[in-house]
Amino acid sequence: MMKTDVQSYLREKFAEHAGLPEDQLFGDDVTLATVIARSPRMTNSIDLMEAFARTANALRKEYGARVRLPAMPLDTPTTTVLKVFQEEFDRQREAVA
Amino acid sequence: MTVMDVQPRIRRSTVPAGPPAIITDLWAALTERGMSLVDVTWEQQRLHESRRWSVVDMLAAVDLDSLTPTDRMLVWNAGRAELTTKPGADRLERQANAECNRWRDTNPALASAMEACGTWSRYWNEEEAHHETVFNRLADLSGMEPIDDETFINFRQVFPDDDMLRTLVLLAISEITAAVNYGQCQHVVADPGLRRIFKQVAADEIQHRNYFIAFAKALVDSGEYHAKDAFAVAHLFLREDGELQGSARDKLEERGTHVNWWDQLETKEMDFRPEAIEKKEQLVCSALKKITGIEVHTREEVEDTWLDLLGS
Ligand SMILES: [Fe+2]
Ligand SMILES: [Fe+2]
Repeated sequence: MMKTDVQSYLREKFAEHAGLPEDQLFGDDVTLATVIARSPRMTNSIDLMEAFARTANALRKEYGARVRLPAMPLDTPTTTVLKVFQEEFDRQREAVA
Repeated sequence: MTVMDVQPRIRRSTVPAGPPAIITDLWAALTERGMSLVDVTWEQQRLHESRRWSVVDMLAAVDLDSLTPTDRMLVWNAGRAELTTKPGADRLERQANAECNRWRDTNPALASAMEACGTWSRYWNEEEAHHETVFNRLADLSGMEPIDDETFINFRQVFPDDDMLRTLVLLAISEITAAVNYGQCQHVVADPGLRRIFKQVAADEIQHRNYFIAFAKALVDSGEYHAKDAFAVAHLFLREDGELQGSARDKLEERGTHVNWWDQLETKEMDFRPEAIEKKEQLVCSALKKITGIEVHTREEVEDTWLDLLGS
């Protein structure tokens, strides 16, 4: 139950900071490069990094876990990013518990 | 009475007396001390003049026969890296001009700071020309693989535009990286002539870094640019597997638009890598302090501060 909650919260927050609807963000063939190209708020990878950071901050506020994201190449699919986010979140949770 | 009869009034200059120096508090100089762009440019000009050196003379002092394979590889890499500075300076000039026009009506002092930056870009470009030619000529003379025109043109591709504060911080970090690399090279090479070249170029890069810090600080001091963007760029470089790792990273971005010189260093077959990551980290933190007034000491603190500045 918890997992789906975090997943949907992540999707919602990232979509908000990217300025794009979720279905344009998390399709099968969507990579980070696609996100930068589609987002009206992004021109480069610093904007992308910032959107992830704001998402991580929101996650921290909501669930109290500070997630640190590794650098990811621009051909990484967004679904992989979500997975990494989730793994980092779980790791933080375990460390705290 | 004619114009000729008017006694000329000797103006007291707002430029400080003494040796030429970078105006590190440009915003205060423009807004509180009443410095004009003529004054600021005069300071830039005399500092530039005081630091000039001759590529021809420096090259004449190198004993080509004494250069080791490592020496020659370091020179070759440096020459290629320096090729990317011209598009950087050309772009800075254009972007500073656009920013100057953007702020003219709403914040004239900020427009002046932008113009000061655009004006300085001509000195920067000229100084980088020395670096590029000294290394490329030396690589050529010492029989290294020639740089073909296609590579030359490839390395000249212009960087895409970004927020001005981000741009200046990125350039400051790029100068830090170059200065530290050349400083390391200076300790590895044996020929005194070549050592002098690395030492001179490293000193130039430090001076460039100081200029970029001064311009970035003026932007933050104006209140129109946010410290978060300075931290974002620092984080981009300092984070694990970030830009500071340069060509040592496992996977490099296929950019297609421009060349980042730090991605292109070929050090794989060398026993020496001019990396010194900790030193660069420390210098980036000190640059952030000067630009934003916020003190950080490690890359983790850079990330935490950036996250705090961002909010959610
Ligand atoms: Fe240079
Ligand atoms: Fe430089």
